[in-house]
Amino acid sequence: MYGWIWRHLPGNVWVRALLSIVLTLAVVYVLFQYVFPWAEPLLPFNDVTVNDQ
Amino acid sequence: MRVIVRTVSELCITVGTLIVLFVVYVLFWTGVKADTEMDRQVDLLQDQWARQPVRPTAGPGTTASPKPPAPYKDAKPFALMYIPRLGFTWNKPVLEGTRSSTLKKGLGHYANTAQLGQKGNFAVAGHRRTYGDPFKDFPKLRAGDAVVLTDGAHWYTYVIDKGPYRTLPTDVQVIDPVPKKSGYTRAGRYLTLTTCDPEWGHSHRLIVWGHLESTKPVESGKPGALRR
Repeated sequence: MYGWIWRHLPGNVWVRALLSIVLTLAVVYVLFQYVFPWAEPLLPFNDVTVNDQ
Repeated sequence: MRVIVRTVSELCITVGTLIVLFVVYVLFWTGVKADTEMDRQVDLLQDQWARQPVRPTAGPGTTASPKPPAPYKDAKPFALMYIPRLGFTWNKPVLEGTRSSTLKKGLGHYANTAQLGQKGNFAVAGHRRTYGDPFKDFPKLRAGDAVVLTDGAHWYTYVIDKGPYRTLPTDVQVIDPVPKKSGYTRAGRYLTLTTCDPEWGHSHRLIVWGHLESTKPVESGKPGALRR
């Protein structure tokens, strides 16, 4: 999977490395901004009131 | 064969990284976000109070409690809470409502309970863990501890009488105007704080109860409980 991505990135080694970092950061951003906020309420830490259940 | 092994190992590494990132998000990032958001809510309150016209202080001899405030707006901050036991600098905004989106921005006032300083039970919920851990040290609260609130016009000093009391999430009677298990028998001006128990779970709730000890206008300075 990662080898496949690496082979399909354009440019020489340095450009590919830079692109990989950018891609990684983009994935982390999407996770923190959209995926984790969605997944977090499925965990029990939000239940602090007595009338929810 | 080699391709399969490689793909499976890459998947395992990816899932592992995801889990680590998620733990970082829950333990650390929600706290960063909540602290920023709570600061913003406190700023909102300070702005709001700065714009408020100065109300003439009641003449000497009038000890009547302040008039009931206007209904609180949903998901908006209306007061600041100080609990010296949880730290001298511990103070959090109190917002109206207990939806989970509201509780990410501060403590939440149960919408159907009494207003600050009024007859009945002023009930507030807060996160024990994640989102800034506002009630992390909740079990340290003891009878006699002060819980001070201000709505910009008055200081309200509540004193804890009983707690922490462990109960089930379905036990809605703990926020009744006169909570049965609290030991109070007559109607009065009470305070209830709720959070989750165990620390990282949701099987139970921890409750403390208190009563209103004193009310004074903000012009007369901080109440004794907040002085060092």
